[in-house]
Amino acid sequence: MVKSIIYTLTAIALCATLFVFTEYYLSSQFGIVYDAASALYDKIEGGEATAADAEALRMLWEDKKSKLHIFIPHNDIAQIDLYLAQADGHIREGDMGLALAKTEVIKRLAQSLPCSYSVKLENVF
Amino acid sequence: MALIFIRTAVIFLTLLVCMRLMGKSQIGEMQPFEFVITLLIAELACIPMADSSIPLMYGIVSVVTIFILHQAVWLLDMWFRPMKRVICGKPSLVITKDGVDMSQLKKNNLDVSDLIESMRAAGYFNLDDVYYGLYEANGSFSALPREKMCGSLPVLIIDDGRPDRENMRIAGISEEKLKNFLSGENTKLKQVAVMTVDGNGRVYFQPKGKRYSIRSIETEGKW
Repeated sequence: MVKSIIYTLTAIALCATLFVFTEYYLSSQFGIVYDAASALYDKIEGGEATAADAEALRMLWEDKKSKLHIFIPHNDIAQIDLYLAQADGHIREGDMGLALAKTEVIKRLAQSLPCSYSVKLENVF
Repeated sequence: MALIFIRTAVIFLTLLVCMRLMGKSQIGEMQPFEFVITLLIAELACIPMADSSIPLMYGIVSVVTIFILHQAVWLLDMWFRPMKRVICGKPSLVITKDGVDMSQLKKNNLDVSDLIESMRAAGYFNLDDVYYGLYEANGSFSALPREKMCGSLPVLIIDDGRPDRENMRIAGISEEKLKNFLSGENTKLKQVAVMTVDGNGRVYFQPKGKRYSIRSIETEGKW
């Protein structure tokens, strides 16, 4: 009986810790990605963006996504991968208008994805 | 992750309520919450395992949630007795000294033929072979047998006011004969809860809301 209660409380404590950590981790990691995407967006807008800037964002994302795979469905990660590759391609070709649009999508995804995993009524049902 | 926990808990509670409402016919040898766990756990473990787009962590959190809910239900059972009745249900006494309790059968979404089937599985072939018969909370059938049991297999002739024409044919009871029997008992067909006839013409007859009685009827059956 005591053993069972200990196991249950341990499971609850582990789950609660994991929930708090995940919430914090997702918002902080996507926050970093958002900031980097915003910086790239500003550079594209100012006409200063180079292939190296896009590559830097891609490297940052590669580093983050390897850990994010543990916490969010891989399809969501693939979505950012796709838009990032498209933005990179447009910057390399000098098509800044399309690169701006794709970077804007990355920014929005970095903002909205953590929200879709937080505890909200619309996410539960 | 907290979202997965809440979603799993919502599905668990929904299934538990549905299983309780479905009655004992849906449960076999398991408490309702054990049945719900059995339904859920295989899927919860399998989907993240087979679908590589879902993190394995989702499956782990769901299974741990089920464990926590199972423990919570178990602790509620231990410490707060009325909860046991709510979660697991209570035994239903379906055969009393007055005969078959139709209201208890209906409450559990069962009919007389289900009851007779359960009795046969338990080794009793006649409705009056037992003093008391009950469905346990886990859906199994228990009975207190009479010392003297009948040696002939009965067939169900009337189930809750509906005649079973196939069984009437087997027993060799014509519509006319049944009509005469019922008029002799001052009862209409719709007012009969249960009527069975065995190979010796022994009738178990119970009008709705009344005590059962043993009668006899002439049969031409071949069973």
